[in-house]
Amino acid sequence: MEISRRDFMHIAAIFGLGAATSSFASTKSIEQIGLKDIYEFDSMGNFTLMHICDLHAHIKPLYWREPSTLISAPNLVGTPGFLCGESFEKFYGLEPSSLDAYFDTYIDFEALARKFGKMGGIAHIKTLTNHIIAERGKENVLFLDSGDTWQGTGVALKSRGEAIVKAQNYLGIDTMVGHWEFTYGKERVRELIDMLDAKFISQNVVGDDPFSDEYEELIFEPYTIEERGGAKIGIIGQSFPFTSTANPKEFTEGWSFGLRMDTLQEYVNELRNEKKVDCVVVLSHDGFSVDQEVARQVKGIDFILSGHTHDPSPKPITINDTVIVIAGSHGKYIGRLDIEAKNGKVKGYEYKLIPIASKIIPADPAGVKLVDELYAPYAKEFNEVLGKTKGMLYKRDTFFSTFDQLINDAVMDEMKCDVSFTPGYRWGTTVLAGEDILMDNVYEMCGITYPNVYTFELKGAKIASLLEDIADNVFNENPLYQQGGDMSRLGGVTYSIAVANKPGQRISKLMIGGKPIDLNKTYIVSSWGGNLQKAGENLQKEKIRPVYDVVRDYIKRKKVVDVSNKGNVTLVDYSCGCPKKGSRGC
Amino acid sequence: MQRRDFFKKLGTATAIAAVVPTMSFAAGDSKPTGPNKMDYQTALNAITGGKTPVKSDKVKLKTPEIAENGAVVPVTVTVDSPMTPSNYVKAIHILNGKNSNARCIDVFLTPANGKAMFSTRIKLGGTQNVTAVVELSDGTFLIASQSVKVTIGGCG
Repeated sequence: MEISRRDFMHIAAIFGLGAATSSFASTKSIEQIGLKDIYEFDSMGNFTLMHICDLHAHIKPLYWREPSTLISAPNLVGTPGFLCGESFEKFYGLEPSSLDAYFDTYIDFEALARKFGKMGGIAHIKTLTNHIIAERGKENVLFLDSGDTWQGTGVALKSRGEAIVKAQNYLGIDTMVGHWEFTYGKERVRELIDMLDAKFISQNVVGDDPFSDEYEELIFEPYTIEERGGAKIGIIGQSFPFTSTANPKEFTEGWSFGLRMDTLQEYVNELRNEKKVDCVVVLSHDGFSVDQEVARQVKGIDFILSGHTHDPSPKPITINDTVIVIAGSHGKYIGRLDIEAKNGKVKGYEYKLIPIASKIIPADPAGVKLVDELYAPYAKEFNEVLGKTKGMLYKRDTFFSTFDQLINDAVMDEMKCDVSFTPGYRWGTTVLAGEDILMDNVYEMCGITYPNVYTFELKGAKIASLLEDIADNVFNENPLYQQGGDMSRLGGVTYSIAVANKPGQRISKLMIGGKPIDLNKTYIVSSWGGNLQKAGENLQKEKIRPVYDVVRDYIKRKKVVDVSNKGNVTLVDYSCGCPKKGSRGC
Repeated sequence: MQRRDFFKKLGTATAIAAVVPTMSFAAGDSKPTGPNKMDYQTALNAITGGKTPVKSDKVKLKTPEIAENGAVVPVTVTVDSPMTPSNYVKAIHILNGKNSNARCIDVFLTPANGKAMFSTRIKLGGTQNVTAVVELSDGTFLIASQSVKVTIGGCG
């Protein structure tokens, strides 16, 4: 089975949006029926894998709006990993305005948010996983985490990851891999792994300092073998292959990452031929589209539990007998995968991407208590109301978002720069129109261990070539050359982009401060969260300040922020933000 | 990679050095006009003498799609060859597409090497192709190429 249209219809019916005459609706409360529907699963096989990815330290429920623009090279348009909005609904057969449509798409987000409430939260996740464990038996269940777990909120940043490790121990995570984890630095990563109950595995992190004892040695165990339901399950770890280019190198100096598909193949063979496992799982932070390439090139993987690109994928995809699943982001979902595996073979499986609807799944009291304890030392700072927002502040989209625009506005206002670069991360938060902006929300958008805003000089020609370079990281037609983020968000700049053009020829009509860019002119540029300052000159050292302080002070000065959702990028070769497969439009 | 594999590799490299110490860094037969300047086509012609190299699966070029550090990009070339006196790899050349000097290294081999394999690190000034050109004992040339992205990075 795969999650069926019936499941979605059922949830829709409960809320009176589809078949409003459902007999259930009249006899039971919405909460009871909703919970039953969320739990519903035709369990099968001898064990269950529970999967979470890209929690980004959101131990409390949040609003998280999916993208309204998700553009890729034409060959990838409309394929899983590059679906949003209406094309997502159609591809997966979602009922508009259903709970699933609210979780998986941007459509009607504000109205549905007020109806269905916040998403995720460890206390709600725990109630669901307790239910699954009760149904299947503790000895038959594994809980796997694809990483990007320790970073993304104020409580994570201030406790240097420790609060989130405690949350993982409470949730009962068995195994994990990493990416943003590494931005706490090598020493802290080791300390946190010592506190962590789960195993941290990676076959693709290898020492590359010739003067170190670790040279050419694996930094972590490459795989683990677990027994559940009488089956031997081999789990190979794959941390983010591009950690040392996407994040500052100094955090992982002496460690080399990379996809390392050749050694991955060797470990698959070792698990199958020598260790005689019944099922080979790759726990991955490669990204959904990269893992589709991995499945094409590496033989003998039964399941890839993917992460990094934050895609909710209600249906698994199968490539060369490898089944790939990915469970969204921010704790919005748990993937449940029941597997029948015996005698070295997988005989069958069932999958459901389960939405953590916090209004429907009750909170586990122990989880609520833990979250309160973890937040208590910082409550005063985090709960400070900085101001209000007139429109919705969101993060995702390929080129532009309102919250990033707010950050760019704040940076430009303080730094007096011509251009502001804000990174195209895919994590953050959503604040509904008219609501208070808390300091906690600011940390949710920019809580990183290298928060400084740098202000420096760049030649026009360099800005243009950097922008092309960044565009190629996002829009290369070969997923192996992508890094899995969205376009950097630019303040003070407008441009047009033809995504399908050759590398280096995508950007046109580049304007700075309303005037066409002068390639020979030197511009003042501010940037945070990347490496751009290394390409610049005459760094203004006295202006360096953490981005979350800059944004906090700006919102406090403004009291009410009003960011237009107009966008500063003109997309030349697509007619809408969520194109369908084989087209340039919807 | 396990430590034992590393020593295996080290063994191969040492063998090359011991048996045939003729490794040159883009010098020798081509005599470029100025220091550190040679474009890709000139370098290729200097190596092949104008012959057209044939694309081949026998040449395995291993280098990352996205470089972690453009200053030290690992490149490994392995050629599927029996390495017998009648059929062996005479030379492995590594070239880049866009540096001011396209010719990175020439490695000369004999059947006594036993295995046609060479591993090194090269510097790449920007996103470009890395190419391995292999000269066989019958005077023909094989070629394999891959694009390596050198990026300032920044997304996450």
